[in-house]
Amino acid sequence: MIINSIYILIATLCFNILENVRGKNLIFTSLGGGLTWFFYLISSSYISSSSIICFFIASVFASTYSEVMARVLKTPVTTFVIGAIIPLVPGGGMYNTMLQSIQGNINGSLSTGLKTLATAGTIAVGIFFVSSVFKASSLFKKKLFKNKKFKSYF
Amino acid sequence: MDINRIINLAAYAGKIMLESGAEIYRVEETITRISKSYDIYNVDAFVTLNVIIVSASNEYEQTISVIKRVKQRTLNLEKISQVNNISRHIKDQCYTLDTIEDKLSKIDFSKPYSARINILFSGIAVSFLSLAYGGNMVDFIISFIIGCLISLISIGLNFLQTNEFFINIICGATATLVSLMSTKFNVVSHTNTIIISSIMILVPGLSITNAIRDTISGDLLSGISRGIEAFLVAVAIAVGTGIILHLWIVLGGFKL
Repeated sequence: MIINSIYILIATLCFNILENVRGKNLIFTSLGGGLTWFFYLISSSYISSSSIICFFIASVFASTYSEVMARVLKTPVTTFVIGAIIPLVPGGGMYNTMLQSIQGNINGSLSTGLKTLATAGTIAVGIFFVSSVFKASSLFKKKLFKNKKFKSYF
Repeated sequence: MDINRIINLAAYAGKIMLESGAEIYRVEETITRISKSYDIYNVDAFVTLNVIIVSASNEYEQTISVIKRVKQRTLNLEKISQVNNISRHIKDQCYTLDTIEDKLSKIDFSKPYSARINILFSGIAVSFLSLAYGGNMVDFIISFIIGCLISLISIGLNFLQTNEFFINIICGATATLVSLMSTKFNVVSHTNTIIISSIMILVPGLSITNAIRDTISGDLLSGISRGIEAFLVAVAIAVGTGIILHLWIVLGGFKL
């Protein structure tokens, strides 16, 4: 499981080089990809494998990691999200859907296609959820601590 | 301060960000932030995927509006973060207009990684993905070759300014063809693993994430168009692999 995550870590590092990330951001983005895949593997070993919930957990972790890292390192969030999401993207489901429809198995292709769409949707919902929470919390903080006395602490 | 020059500079910064693949709300924020830090408070920016419209007026009621058309979109996350940093530090570092113009043009003409590095690293990415999806050492080598080949082809076709869907079709077809051939000559056994991992490098990660983030922040127009772009790219990859697989089965290859 750990070796598998390290493979993904190296792969995300290469993906980030293709996207022209430089410097120390490179390390943290690839770490995000590796950790996301690790979370996915752990959750899929406890819950049934390749269930949709696993993707949800992994994508929630990925976007939380990237939102936190973006605030720490003062870099746009996109830099981290793309690297963390890449290993979760259902390329295998896409391929299997196409393979089934070529072999003339319409029922199989429809069911795998729906499953792939559901996976993609789940990842999207995970990002949606976390970044809305972060946006709301930052606005909340701004409005709550308009008071100058509080502002000096933050 | 010269309102003409400030707004033009702000639009230029926005253009750099949009060309390198930033979200819409970030571009709009940067434009308003730059002009507000030079005391122009009456600014409106409207940005979609390929146009930037800025309109501003100052206290003497001079009004100016700028339209910038963005034709090509590349992927350069470093430029986004640099422009973002500059726009945030105008006030506390007291940048003048000249320094900002200098810095922006330096960012605009900074070179991305060279083609050789791109080819090498896409090969490594594909090969490690194939290891992670359960391949062995022979698969590793074959998928390294496929990754390099895909990157080479896409760089070449980009140079000829072909459209994105055609590039994806060709790349998917190449990946499938090479892996099927290597299975035919009994080199590898995990054909599916190799094809899946080489597809992953073509997947539009930026379009997917930006579609979601644009939709959240309320830029529905750009969100929908980016989502459709991502979907079409996925369809193009499937078509590319599908054509070769279908031909392979029809022309009497082997059962997959």
